Amino acid sequence: MLLITLLSQISFRLTLILVLGTCLGFVLQKSRFCLVSALRDPILIGMTQLTRAFLLLLGISILGFALVSWGAAVKNIPVTLNVFPMGVHTVVGGLLFGIGMVLAGGCSTGIIIRVGEGFAMQMLAFFGLAVGAVLGERSSVNWRNTFGEWPGIFLPDIFGWIPTLILEIIVLLTLWQLARWWQKKQLGE
Amino acid sequence: MKKTLQTIIHGPWAYWIGAIILGLLNILVLIVRGQPWGVTLNIELWTEWIATNLGILSNRGITLTDLMAASGTYLNFGLLIGAFWATLAASQFRFRPIRDKKFFFSALIGGLLMGYGARIAYGCNVGALLNGIASSSLTGWIFAAAVFAGTWIGSKLLLKYLM
Amino acid sequence: MARFSIDIWGEMCPIPLIKAKKKLSTMQCGDILVLETEHSCTSRGIVVWAKANRYSIEEKEVANGIWHLELTKTHD
Repeated sequence: MLLITLLSQISFRLTLILVLGTCLGFVLQKSRFCLVSALRDPILIGMTQLTRAFLLLLGISILGFALVSWGAAVKNIPVTLNVFPMGVHTVVGGLLFGIGMVLAGGCSTGIIIRVGEGFAMQMLAFFGLAVGAVLGERSSVNWRNTFGEWPGIFLPDIFGWIPTLILEIIVLLTLWQLARWWQKKQLGE
Repeated sequence: MKKTLQTIIHGPWAYWIGAIILGLLNILVLIVRGQPWGVTLNIELWTEWIATNLGILSNRGITLTDLMAASGTYLNFGLLIGAFWATLAASQFRFRPIRDKKFFFSALIGGLLMGYGARIAYGCNVGALLNGIASSSLTGWIFAAAVFAGTWIGSKLLLKYLM
Repeated sequence: MARFSIDIWGEMCPIPLIKAKKKLSTMQCGDILVLETEHSCTSRGIVVWAKANRYSIEEKEVANGIWHLELTKTHD
């Protein structure tokens, strides 16, 4: 509380962000939301409840981001979306990240949440994450130089906003059905 | 009424309630920050700064003033104290030491792989997967597929070495 | 009506659930499996899994941040 009052003297925007971050941490802990669990449990246990909650989160975010960027364009406020360049490093990075998060028992947010809960294991994983991040950042130039890189494709640029949104929602709904079918099949055994 | 309050403070909340609130918060972060929620970039910057001051790495011109003005710092710090408060409010906080040596190695190796992978792909689960897809970027979908494949390999490793 | 317990203390998700699943398959109908964990997500995960499988389960927080679970194998 003291910190928030102190910070609000310096910057209103940063205070708001700190409050939002705190809310995110609170909700993530209380709902036991875990992105690793969402991706791993279908494979290891056959449970997809969290996977489907994650798909819901994706759906809300897609629609919300579309609305915000539309509103920002109308009012001429700059908003940067996460359209990153892609290349071989996207796939390799994803693979390494996937392996790492299962072994460490949490993705980058999950680790921070669990440090807050008092897990020594994730404190160590956080240290590993910090060191790995520096190594990755310093070697990402080499990846780009060796394999090249293509500019990121912003789907609405190709299809237009409305078809993109419809397409993405259809994909999410298909995945949802697939996840439901998968859990039924796994539990039926 | 008392029971509802008890659940709110104590948890656990249903997954879908968490998903809806997280989605709204995620959108709010975009509005306030002007840029989606991300985690690892800021951690990387802090490590660079610490390592530079310890004399391990060459200076890349990251100053404390920049770090204290970076919105990511406050998001990450908020995550930490948010989770800490949430555990404290339910009086579930306790220090949980590592009980088995194998987790010592898996945490360290996992953390390293995750940090490295996140930075060469420009983002972690949140920045590149969740918000990459939310930004309607093709890269986000490709990254998601790669992470899922990685999770599959990781699960096999877990069954083999950690069980 | 036998009571079994397995040691999942300090294990990382999802190892406790895999171990519980293995143990459960060797148990008779009506037997009880006792588990204890200090990991909030693990406890939650087991409860959700047991409910989806229609096993009866009781979750109790016996101390601050320690959960005690009793799972009854109600059917095969």
